[in-house]
Amino acid sequence: MNAVLAEEAQRRAQRLTKALLWGSGAAAVLWFTAAQIGLNPAALVRGVPFMLDFFGRMFPPDLAHLALLRDATIETVQIAVWGTVIAILLSIPLAILGARNTAPHFFVFHLVRLVLNALRSINELVFALIFVAAVGLGPFAGVLAIALHATGMLAKFCAEEIEGVDRGPVEAMQATGAGRLQVILFGIVPQVVPAFVSYAVYRFDVSIRAATILGLVGAGGLGFSLIKTMKLFQYHQTATCILVIFVLVLVSDWLCARIRARIL
Amino acid sequence: MAAVLPARPGWRLHHIVLAAGAIAFLAWCADGVNLRPKELAGALPVIGEYFARMWPPKWEFSAVLWKPALETLYIALWGNVIALLIGLPLGLCAAGNVVKSLAVRSAAKAILNLLRSISELIWAVFFVAAVGLGPFPGALALGVNFGGILGRLYAEALENIDPGPVEALAATGASRLQVIAYAMLPQALPQFVTYNLYWFEVGVRSATVLGMVGAGGIGFELVTTIRLFEWRECGVVLLLILAMVTVIDLASTYIRSRIY
Amino acid sequence: MILRIKGLSKVYPGGTQALSSVDIDVPAGQFLVILGPSGAGKSTLMRCINRLVEPTSGQIVFESKEITGPGRDLRATRRQFGMVFQQFNLVKRLSVLTNVLTGRLGYRSVLRSLVYSFPEGDKRIAIECLARVNMERKAFQRADTLSGGEQQRVAIARALAQEPKVILADEPVASLDPKIARQVLTYLRQVAKELGITVLCNLHQVDYAREFGERIVGMSRGSVVFDGAASDLSDQVLRKIYYEQAA
Repeated sequence: MNAVLAEEAQRRAQRLTKALLWGSGAAAVLWFTAAQIGLNPAALVRGVPFMLDFFGRMFPPDLAHLALLRDATIETVQIAVWGTVIAILLSIPLAILGARNTAPHFFVFHLVRLVLNALRSINELVFALIFVAAVGLGPFAGVLAIALHATGMLAKFCAEEIEGVDRGPVEAMQATGAGRLQVILFGIVPQVVPAFVSYAVYRFDVSIRAATILGLVGAGGLGFSLIKTMKLFQYHQTATCILVIFVLVLVSDWLCARIRARIL
Repeated sequence: MAAVLPARPGWRLHHIVLAAGAIAFLAWCADGVNLRPKELAGALPVIGEYFARMWPPKWEFSAVLWKPALETLYIALWGNVIALLIGLPLGLCAAGNVVKSLAVRSAAKAILNLLRSISELIWAVFFVAAVGLGPFPGALALGVNFGGILGRLYAEALENIDPGPVEALAATGASRLQVIAYAMLPQALPQFVTYNLYWFEVGVRSATVLGMVGAGGIGFELVTTIRLFEWRECGVVLLLILAMVTVIDLASTYIRSRIY
Repeated sequence: MILRIKGLSKVYPGGTQALSSVDIDVPAGQFLVILGPSGAGKSTLMRCINRLVEPTSGQIVFESKEITGPGRDLRATRRQFGMVFQQFNLVKRLSVLTNVLTGRLGYRSVLRSLVYSFPEGDKRIAIECLARVNMERKAFQRADTLSGGEQQRVAIARALAQEPKVILADEPVASLDPKIARQVLTYLRQVAKELGITVLCNLHQVDYAREFGERIVGMSRGSVVFDGAASDLSDQVLRKIYYEQAA
């Protein structure tokens, strides 16, 4: 009894010490970074009346403005659709090339992984900025921006799925004398299809969100109307815009959740 | 004796209609965004050329980038802290097995949805107007948006726990709060940590563009180099972002392997 | 009589009659086995006793006080009944000792327990309970590192930590293989005898019932169809419990 109690006390003391160490370390980091970024609760509190004023000026939303947003909303959806479609088309071969067990050569594998990491780490908006400079304003740049970023995410996910497949069916296929490509197409790909489709639908959901703000840099969609109305102090119209974005994202969320539930 | 195969469900009418509808939909979308094969083919070399202009990167430029780059990380860090502070209580209120009252749960879910759906960039514009330029509104924006996202994820994780230990603890006479603390939270904790690590990564990527609206981080430098057509400098910024995200990715994978 | 169940009935919202007017009187200190196939209502009966499930009608009198009906102090009642589950239901990520300590939560104020702090007295009780099932050596291991039989013994220790008057064991060995099952049931019976705890044990295995039950209540389709000693468990009775179809 006493031995156990003593051990319990000892362990508790150890846990406490560890917690204090990590805790004070974390607190120090947080304190330092807070100072660096100028975290200022007082400023936030001072800003509250301003925020309330802002909200006040937005209500009631100008519902007549909805008609004007119709085209922008459609454009937003279209951008997301083709951004995702292109991403799907590009990511399938890239995933196969970027998976350890299906890449034709070690060098190819690493190169593809590097490219995918680059695509993943760069935000859609950044791509949009560059593409607007390259191909001009409009939704075309937006589609490409979303497509490239989504390709990075989708291909990496798919590659990881490919690396994690059940080896059994693959070995069985190899035993029948099937060629390398056939083994990939018939042994590996069918195993990853459900997860891939599910993640692609999720990426579409994310792309809708991203597409709503591409307009900020002139790449089409609702974002342009949003920023324009804000800069012109037309806050009632801004509210309408935000409302439309909110509903769009909600609907897309619900739809994607339903589709994914049916796949899995 | 010949084998009799079961009838195969071939192409029915509704399959064809569905396929045709999908193709028509895609064509309509493509038209709406000016996506034509010729344009696409023409655009790729142009884009390639722009990326080529970023080479060789002007390494000297990185000297002015360290501070904004670190600032980006700090924004992501505090953004996640604020997201945790907002998301955890709301997530607890939204979980069906934690809170019984439908009114409370619906209210929590509604708030979470509102926070999630509005992009962090829009929140950033809002907070910049409220507290001024700089990384502080950026962290707030990230925190509010991610708070909504994480809150919903927390609620889902809580609802997916094994109900057995919950029942067992209730049977010992423990109060509701005690059951939550001893049976629910310990089970959901690994999921919580995974989510937080993942979204910290996402946060770093998101924080890179907040500077575009004046909310701090490396976004401002990035936008400036593009607007001034300083492509070689732009290349350096992009490489720096790539390096940051890669390092965070590796660190996060390492941490995840250690806590399981 | 420590426990009197009078006319207990339970109808689930869908219309299923899980319990039909069950009457059982339990003397203190008895090891009572409730025998019957799945769907007989054994689990429902047990959960009505500690109010995890609300009975539709009937009365349960515990230590001469009625515990059914509205406005009864749930926490105080549940403390007196230790429950052991088929799936063990330990919190996997917590240590064995912490799991047993959760048996004391019913006695602790909410605020102190929220910081995972237990008084010394509680820890002594918990360690002693672990010693009774010979698990004190593994006190600091995570619960999910234990085998099935070990986990169930810890679960018994958790129930004991409540210092209960009655232990409700709902199919405690259904997930264990025969040798371990016997070991666990032996622990249960032994510990109950030592501490004078009444045990109600749901079982569907006839041989365990015969071996461990002082008294056997046979249930079939929500009703009691047999109440007597193990020796009275004839083939005819077993047929009534297990094979009787709709009348």
